Amino acid sequence: MRVVIGEDLALLRDGLTRLLEASGFEVVGAVSDAPSAAALLERDDIDVAVLDIRMPPTFTNEGLKLALAARQRRPGMPIVVLSQFVEQLYARELLESGEGGLGYLLKDRVADVDEFVAAVRQVAAGGTVLDPKVVASLLSRASAREPLARLTPREREVLRLIAQGRSNAGIAAGLFLSEKAIGKHINNIFTKLDLPMAADDNRRVLAVLAYLQAADSPTR
Amino acid sequence: MSRPVRSAIYPASVTVLRALPRNVAVQLGVGAAICLAMIVIWTGTGGYFWPRWVLFGVGVILALQIAPRLAWRLPPGRRRRLALHLALDAVIGPLEVIVWALSGGGLFWPAYPLAALTIAFALHAWLEYQRPDSHERELTSRIDVLTRSRRGALDTQAAELRRIERDLHDGAQARLVSLGMSLGLAEKLLETDPEGAAKLLAEARSSTLSALDDLRTVMQAIHPSVLADRGLPGAIEALALDVSVPVEITYDVAGYASPPIESAMYFAVAECLANVVKHSHARRATVRVEHRDGRLVAIVADDGIGGARLGFGSGLQGIADRLEAFDGGLRLRSPDGGPTTVTMEVPCELSSART
Repeated sequence: MRVVIGEDLALLRDGLTRLLEASGFEVVGAVSDAPSAAALLERDDIDVAVLDIRMPPTFTNEGLKLALAARQRRPGMPIVVLSQFVEQLYARELLESGEGGLGYLLKDRVADVDEFVAAVRQVAAGGTVLDPKVVASLLSRASAREPLARLTPREREVLRLIAQGRSNAGIAAGLFLSEKAIGKHINNIFTKLDLPMAADDNRRVLAVLAYLQAADSPTR
Repeated sequence: MSRPVRSAIYPASVTVLRALPRNVAVQLGVGAAICLAMIVIWTGTGGYFWPRWVLFGVGVILALQIAPRLAWRLPPGRRRRLALHLALDAVIGPLEVIVWALSGGGLFWPAYPLAALTIAFALHAWLEYQRPDSHERELTSRIDVLTRSRRGALDTQAAELRRIERDLHDGAQARLVSLGMSLGLAEKLLETDPEGAAKLLAEARSSTLSALDDLRTVMQAIHPSVLADRGLPGAIEALALDVSVPVEITYDVAGYASPPIESAMYFAVAECLANVVKHSHARRATVRVEHRDGRLVAIVADDGIGGARLGFGSGLQGIADRLEAFDGGLRLRSPDGGPTTVTMEVPCELSSART
C-alpha cells in the first residue's frame, strides 16, 4: 500500500515512516510543509495520506485545508489527519462531504502501533475513523438530542464504535455480542436516522455525520 | 514685496484671519469700510479729527469678539478660564490707555483701573491654582483606575502562571517521573522476568498517553489551537460544540480584533459558557458578539436559574479583571430565578486582515 506523509517535526516524520514501512506500507514521500504536501497529494498513485494538521508556513490548520482540497479534487481520497488537539468543529468539516476514507486522530494514537496501523488501513479501505476523544465529547452531549434520542443506549454504543472506524466484527468483539446481533443494531440505527439505502460504507459515514450534526443542533 | 518680509508677516496674519469665524471677518470688513467712509467725509469737512472715535469704537467691538475667541481655543479647564480673563483684560487695559490718550492726556488716571485689573487677575489665578482642576481630577481618577487594573492584570497573570506551573508539576512532570521509573524497572527485569517487564512497558506507554493528555490541557489553557487557526469566530464555534447545552451563536464583526483582545474575549466567553453548564441549569444559551461604537461586545445569555454574583475569587471577577486591563469591563444581570446575561466589552479597533 502506497502512503505519503506530511509532518513538520523530523522526529515524528521519521517515526511515522519507520512505523508504516515496518507494517508493510510503501512510503512514497515524506515531506515537512504544506506546499510540498500539496504537490504530493496531486499524485494519483497513492492509496492513503497521513497529514499533520499543523504545518509550515502558517502553523495553523494547513493539514485540514489540504485534506479538504485534495478530496474536492478526488472525492473519497483516503486521508488520515493527525493533530495534537482534536476539535469537533474540524471533525465536522472533514466529514461534511459525506464521503468515507477519512481519519481524524490525536497524535498520541501513534503510540499504539497496531491500532494506528489498523486505522490507516481502515481509512485506505474507505472507512471513517474518528479519535475516541472526539467521539467521547460528542457522546457526552449528544444523548439528549434529536435524532439520536431515538436510539437505545446499546445502539448509541454501537454508533460510537462505528465512528471510531470499527468493522462489524470489531464492534462485536468490543461489546461481546455476535456479529449478527451487531448487524441488526446497525440496521436499526440506519432506519432510525432515516439514512438512504446505499453502500454500507457510505451509510456508516452518514450515520457518523448525523451523529456530529445532532451534537450541533439544539432540541426544539 | 520681498520674500523674507512676506513670509514673516503673511503667515501670522493669515493664522489670525483663518482662526476667525466668518461673521467676525465680515464685521472686520464692514468696520474697515465705515472707518474709511468717515475719514473720507472728514477730509471733505476738515477740522478736528473726529473719526478717531469711530475707529476706536469699531476697534473695541472687534477686539471684544476676537480676543475671547482665541482664548476659547485652549482645551477646557483652568488654563482656558485664565486665558479668557486675560483676553478681557488685554482689551480693557489698552482701551483705557487709548481713551486717556485720545482725551488729551493729563494725569495718568488709567493707573488705578489697571492696578485693579491686575489684582483681580492675580486673585483669579491664585484661586484657580488653589483647587485642583476638573481636568486634573479626571486624570487623577484615570491614573487610579489604570494602577488598579494594571495590578489586577498582573495578579491575574501571576496566578495564571502559578496554576500552569502547578498543572505541569502535578501532571506531566509526575507522569514522566513515573515513566522513567517504569522503564528503569523494565530494563532490570528484561532478563529475569520478561513478562513483568512487558507489563511495565505497557504501563509506561499508558503513562506517556496520560502525560500527553495533561500537556494538552495545559497548552489549551494557554492558547487554544483553534483560536490560532480560526480566530475568535471559529474558536467560539468550537467552544459551543464542546458544551452540553445547545448554544446559538451570532457573530457580527466585520474585521479582526488584535490577538490579545481576541484571546481575552475567548477566555471570557469560555468562562461564561462553563458557568452556564456548571451552575445555571439552563436549557439553552446564546452568544452574541458584535462591534459597535468602537467596542467589541460579547453577550452571553442563558435561560437558567440566575443568582450569579461577582466577587473575589469568582471566575466572573477574574474575567472582569482581565477585561479591565484592556480598558473594558463586564456587566452582570442575574436575578434569582434567572435569566442571566453577561455583557463584556473592550474598546477595540478592527483591522481588515488577521494579524
